[in-house]
Amino acid sequence: MKIRKKYLFYLLAFSSSIIAALLTGVDVILERYLENPWVLGLAIFYLGVLMSIIFTLIFSIPYKGKSLGSLTIDPTFNKIRFFKREEIKYHILGGAGNAILTIGYFALIIIIRDPSVILPFSQIVILYLVIIESVTEKNTPTLIEIQSSIIVTFGAILGSISLSGTISLEALAIVFFVINPGWVLLSINQRKLKTLKIKNKTNDALNIRLWNVIFACLFTILFTLIYDYVYGTNNLIESFYSTVDQFGWLFLVGIGTFFSFVFYIRALGIGKASVTQAVKSSVIIFTIPVSLILAYYGFIDPLSSDPVLILIKIIGIVLIILGITSFALTLIKAYIFIKLKTGYPIEETMQKLWNIGGVTRVCAVAGTYDIMLKIRTRTLVKGYENILRKLESIESIKEFKWQSVLKEWEDI
Amino acid sequence: MITAYILINMQPGKSDKIIEEMRKIENIQKISIVTGEYDIVVRVGIKTLDKLLKVTDKIQMIKGVTKTTTQVIEKEIAL
Repeated sequence: MKIRKKYLFYLLAFSSSIIAALLTGVDVILERYLENPWVLGLAIFYLGVLMSIIFTLIFSIPYKGKSLGSLTIDPTFNKIRFFKREEIKYHILGGAGNAILTIGYFALIIIIRDPSVILPFSQIVILYLVIIESVTEKNTPTLIEIQSSIIVTFGAILGSISLSGTISLEALAIVFFVINPGWVLLSINQRKLKTLKIKNKTNDALNIRLWNVIFACLFTILFTLIYDYVYGTNNLIESFYSTVDQFGWLFLVGIGTFFSFVFYIRALGIGKASVTQAVKSSVIIFTIPVSLILAYYGFIDPLSSDPVLILIKIIGIVLIILGITSFALTLIKAYIFIKLKTGYPIEETMQKLWNIGGVTRVCAVAGTYDIMLKIRTRTLVKGYENILRKLESIESIKEFKWQSVLKEWEDI
Repeated sequence: MITAYILINMQPGKSDKIIEEMRKIENIQKISIVTGEYDIVVRVGIKTLDKLLKVTDKIQMIKGVTKTTTQVIEKEIAL
């Protein structure tokens, strides 16, 4: 089935958000039984590894010449496999990022229990992503990207004010210095892995998730061991007992987290990390019903009915939606077909073209043209200034044709 | 794995029907409606050149397609 790439992207990112919102609710319930973030983080990862192995094995079962995973979740998935040498550095960095993020997240849950407050905090990560993308993806942020990031950030800050009217500085510090840097490390490296070619094929989300959880679990064990050694605690041993005691809830979290991440990684493979994060920030909306249910059953303090606080929360949500919309609606894509002069090495020209900001694909082709480019730009003016002007300066190019993409469908 | 782009010209006013038909063809990874010299750009991923011929054939059989130009990818750099 082929659907508009944009719809697929939103479907994946929103599904990931809804699952994440429900999971936060489960985490809050779980925190009642396991009050130590190290123990909770480790217990989650043990089950996470187990769940990821089981599901990846199930999705590896062949059916009509393809794997179940390929038919249902990710067409690029073939079967469970060991990580490749070229993936190691990204798995190490991504795993460390996930471990840091998880421990920080559980520490935050223990300080603030209300999911509608916890998750908006972490949406500020979008600012970090825009900055890092501009460095790693040779892509200078445009005015609209900066504006949208700021709108989303302020929306998230307003949305994160508790309905009891408080804001915790300790929690803010954990968000800014632990959770968000960890999330950036994870996000950037997951995207690197998703865009990596393994045996000339696109890398699949299922194996990426599996190995990320395994690496994250190893890093969490390492961090816990260091913590236990320095502070004389016994978190590592305690985590084994807790896993057995709370198996039911942890099992639920393991399944939910697996699918939330698989959808998120697939979305990352389609859109830029900052745009994916922007859409995923809709989680803030989905956490409100979760908070209401938790308050109703007495897992968190009753929510205030103060109209000022409710208004602030609504403004926060509106700002996030505005930020997301302006992000999503301002991306222009185009093909550029190029004919080259003879006497110039093609690979050298390809490299020059690849170095131009906004170029996402360079293909040397046989046929009417010599090279085909796929580009991505926020505005046509930027496309002219940053891409066409640079093309004109490459001596080996005889002529080129710009073909703007009006609409696009992708096989899923 | 062979990857190729097929550049398509069509009769005006037929884009909806053509896209609908094209979305049923296997091995087509991406369909883009574009402005300029061509009307549609299709990205195809196939195992053999023989299968590429079959995909091209299916596209040419769609009513309203007036011309196809196939560009086989020899080398690719992508994000």
